[in-house]
Amino acid sequence: MFWRLLWKLLRGSGGRLAVAILSLVSCAMVVSALLNLEFDIERKLTQEFRMLGANILVSPRNAQINGSSTAEVMSESEVAAAIAASKEPAVVAAASFLYVVANAGKTPVVVAGTKLEELSKLEPAWRIEGDWKSSHDLAASCLVGRNVARQLQLVVGSPLRLTYLNENAQFTVAGIVDAGGTEDNQVFVGLAEAQNLANLPGKISVAQLSVSGTSNSISRYAARLASALPAYEVRPIRQITEAEGDLLSRIRLLIVSMVILILVLTALCVLGTMAALAMERRQDVGLMKALGGSIGRIVTLFMAEVGVLGAAGGFVGAILGIELSRWMGQRVFGTAISSRWEIFPLTIVLMVAVALAGALPLRLLGKVKPAVIFRGE
Amino acid sequence: MATLVQVDDLRKEFGNVRALAGVSFNVEAGEWIAIMGPSGSGKTTLINILGGLDMPTAGQAVVDGVDVARLDEAGLTRFRAQKIGFVFQQFHLVPYLTALENVMLAQYFHSTTDEKEAQHALERVGLGDRVEHLPGALSGGEQQRVAVARALINHPKLILADEPTGNLDEANEETVIQLFQELHHEGHTILMVTHDPSIGNLADRRIEFAHGKLKHILTPAKLA
Repeated sequence: MFWRLLWKLLRGSGGRLAVAILSLVSCAMVVSALLNLEFDIERKLTQEFRMLGANILVSPRNAQINGSSTAEVMSESEVAAAIAASKEPAVVAAASFLYVVANAGKTPVVVAGTKLEELSKLEPAWRIEGDWKSSHDLAASCLVGRNVARQLQLVVGSPLRLTYLNENAQFTVAGIVDAGGTEDNQVFVGLAEAQNLANLPGKISVAQLSVSGTSNSISRYAARLASALPAYEVRPIRQITEAEGDLLSRIRLLIVSMVILILVLTALCVLGTMAALAMERRQDVGLMKALGGSIGRIVTLFMAEVGVLGAAGGFVGAILGIELSRWMGQRVFGTAISSRWEIFPLTIVLMVAVALAGALPLRLLGKVKPAVIFRGE
Repeated sequence: MATLVQVDDLRKEFGNVRALAGVSFNVEAGEWIAIMGPSGSGKTTLINILGGLDMPTAGQAVVDGVDVARLDEAGLTRFRAQKIGFVFQQFHLVPYLTALENVMLAQYFHSTTDEKEAQHALERVGLGDRVEHLPGALSGGEQQRVAVARALINHPKLILADEPTGNLDEANEETVIQLFQELHHEGHTILMVTHDPSIGNLADRRIEFAHGKLKHILTPAKLA
């Protein structure tokens, strides 16, 4: 009879309850979308920050990293072995550089020798006129910064002859780099070609790593790498890792604040609906009490009704919310946010709690006096 | 016959208004008592106190050995479920429950529900073909018969009826009164508030109220 009554109560107050369930579904949709976003934000933000390039630098001790020094060099194989030995967190890209100041004709240019395939992973945000792929395929290809290209009047396909001391090397421009930084003043060639040009086989000036993870995990990784490479300096690029951590904290605070605010507003909306419903139900409650219904049994019935509403609103809203979060992820990050199954029970529990909190007026029905109701007061 | 109801110096005040001013009488088991008097004379207040819906200010109202005035909230709830069957002038059926469910509601609050028994109760009042109808689809007389079936379903010691025919047309009034007569013949104890002298004349005794006081108790001989 309990479930029969519950069903009739839900059907009997359809109009009023429709308002409440609409509020709950809307709330659940936004809350589940935000929670889904919150759960996935770290991964997404890390991916976004990886677009900004390296966040760990390996360099010779006391070296000035200005993209032009060859005074201090490191062993390429030693650095590569240390990086390969460390697995966690994931290394998105690791590019070794050998910097040489060579001449293009009579113009001095900074030549950065690197593995261009790794460079494309390290700097995915760079805009390239031409393409990365052709520079990977041909050992004699190079990329030139846009300032260099302008100064030397180079276009994609132009030949470029570089001279360093008594060595010469001939390259073809595979792409023009628009990085928006000092890279626009450099020429990027294969690492082996740069090493041959500088006559420094197996040597590098610096290694740049893009490592995914939180600010703390990146710092821990840098410390581990430093212990594996005691002769060199390993340090996280703080502006990036700290900005990432700070932004993550702010976004999380914003999301949690919004979730709390939405829950409170929905509880108030449900409260208003339930207050009106409580007034309508006074007659029924008076009758139920006259028939021998205990306060506990009657209030449990109404609370169960509200609980069912909350659960139904939470379930429907969570499904819609997952879709909303996918859409939001697409709009904000360019890729869909991953669905998390934990969102379903969490949203349903939150909606039931909000519905019960909003159903406070129904608890007051326990105080209804049948005689007062029947007198029409 | 055993005394089922003992009312002794019963008083009820609502602020400065004295609804009952020291009322005393007894009701024997199986009696049909008509309670009459002008509006505001305390009839409904008496019914409410005897039914455990209201508490007296002073005095005793003992029903089947239970002094209503001494019961707490939980005790009153049990008392209403186990000993009283109410029939109201306004029917007071739950509008979104069918006739059958309205009867089963009383079972639910009493103990456990028995759909067949509830159906039988409706057949008993001539509504065997209306069990799935909502109150809104029933006539006033049919609704009142559902209320009677609901009042009887838990086999109460005392049926309290507050102007059960007050909202009915003549034909339906006759049907409902006939039903009460049958209940009386079956041995049910009935206290019925009514304004209608012809209904009052059908009772075993007629208790007349005025200004919260018991004015007359008319026995069958005097009624005649």
